[in-house]
Amino acid sequence: MRTRQLMILGSGLLACAGMWGQTAATMAAGQTLSVAASSFPADNLLNGGPAAWNQVAVKHVGLNRTPPLYDTDEPAALEIPVVDVRLARTGGKLLVQLNWHDPTHDAITLPEVPKTPPETRFLKVPTEADDRFFDAAAVMFPTKPEAGAMTPSLQMGDAEHPVEIYYWNATRGAMLMQAQGRGTTRRTGQSFPANASYQNGQWSVTFELPDLPPGTPVAFAVWNGSQKDRDGRKYFSVWQVLE
Amino acid sequence: MSKHQYAMVMDLNKCLGCQTCTIACKKLWTDRDGTGYMYWNNVETRPGLGYPRQWDRIGGGWKDGLLQPSPLPTMEDYGYAWEYDYEQRLFEGKRKPVMPSPEPKSGVNWDEDVGGMNGEENYFFYVPRICNHCTYPACLEACPRKAIYKREEDGIVVIDQDRCQGYRYCIKACPYKKIYFNEVTGKSEKCIFCYPRLEKGEVNACAAQCPGRLRFVGLLDDPESPVHKLVLVHKIALPLFPEKGTQPNVFYVPPFNPPKRDNYGKSILEDARLPLDYLVYLFGPDVKNVITRLEAELKRAQAGGRSEVLQLLIGRDAETRYRIRPQLVQIQG
Repeated sequence: MRTRQLMILGSGLLACAGMWGQTAATMAAGQTLSVAASSFPADNLLNGGPAAWNQVAVKHVGLNRTPPLYDTDEPAALEIPVVDVRLARTGGKLLVQLNWHDPTHDAITLPEVPKTPPETRFLKVPTEADDRFFDAAAVMFPTKPEAGAMTPSLQMGDAEHPVEIYYWNATRGAMLMQAQGRGTTRRTGQSFPANASYQNGQWSVTFELPDLPPGTPVAFAVWNGSQKDRDGRKYFSVWQVLE
Repeated sequence: MSKHQYAMVMDLNKCLGCQTCTIACKKLWTDRDGTGYMYWNNVETRPGLGYPRQWDRIGGGWKDGLLQPSPLPTMEDYGYAWEYDYEQRLFEGKRKPVMPSPEPKSGVNWDEDVGGMNGEENYFFYVPRICNHCTYPACLEACPRKAIYKREEDGIVVIDQDRCQGYRYCIKACPYKKIYFNEVTGKSEKCIFCYPRLEKGEVNACAAQCPGRLRFVGLLDDPESPVHKLVLVHKIALPLFPEKGTQPNVFYVPPFNPPKRDNYGKSILEDARLPLDYLVYLFGPDVKNVITRLEAELKRAQAGGRSEVLQLLIGRDAETRYRIRPQLVQIQG
């Protein structure tokens, strides 16, 4: 089993290295992530303080930077080299907590839009800025996790291996997405429970996912708004495997 | 490539700069939350800053087959919306002047009628602008979501609001900066060439409301349409910044008339009221040939002859100016 996993991770690594023109040596390798069986209910893990997570081991997962989308884009610096991941199972849920250092807090509270139709109001809600982007994070895993199966393409899955993407945005909140390859990501219109806090240059975001079986590959992504991150312009991990 | 292509020609010699088109468009399409700063149609004074300011100098479009994205214009480039403090003056009885806040520093039509100098003479003209519904849209190519598409039946370029994720690569890629980001919805928006009106046989709102009757609308590939005649037969209308490589489908009859003061009877090209270099900057080197053709038509009419081109440009009635073919687009499209 272990050999197969390594082989799968290795092939995933080479695939993305080839596709994106990066050398495999610069990619942070995948690893096995242990999942704690927590005695706390999901709500405590989601909304409680650090106490609920104290007993859960942390794994440092290396992040990579996608290359520029345009030839004319400046390559972005690797400002967020690592995300700390904690995983806990409780009550049929998988709680994923991501912590990362980001000195720039790119989040706003959008103005409230009145419920009345705009044509009935003299004043409309303005667009306050058109050039800001917000911090965000995501957890991706195969829609149908199968033990020992090939991992989906790291670029948002592929036609045979669709993926679920639990995406959280510091301004727009949590939204569930699905994809079957690069450029196919679509919003399902559904949300999911998530909780985020920002303190001393550190984001801590907790995602509530459905429970996933051992051996499921998961990957993480982080967007830094001040680096104008959005879309594939982001930090990403290679596939990791749940213990 | 689309099966048909709607196009618009605007005769800049007739534009009054009255902004009726701007308001027609605004009331119809961008009177919603998040769209306050959006002008799918705007009229700018040239030479001038434009909207967003300096849009013509920051980049976008194609070069050697590659996209040339610009930086994103900022709200400073569009200008922040301001309000007047009527409250203290009208209701609190304070005798302070009603000042706008925040202090206005830029905005749509900010430098109206400022223009430039040609020798010792001031000059300016108006350029109404909508999305060019380009044949090779840089915005479409730039969108990783494939949210932008060019309608096969009529060549109109639109943004699928369900697919758009607000990444704004399209705004960077558009050399005309005619896509706007709505921060309230988190999606980008642009001129839709009034396709719901065209589908009902009605001309675009900006054209319908134009008191100067300077807009001509039809299918570029319809030999009977005024746009086909003006662009392809008489060759007197040119796109803006053709070197940007997107092949716009909005064309302009360049301003060439009246002649300079005390210059009557001389060729406009000899001693132009408007610096030709500036017209070349806007419309490319072919603008001189276009002005030569227009001048020849004018001379023919002045000598008592009949000019089909001038009759068309006068555009007395809607039948002359517009040829909307919803049936053609639907049946053959």
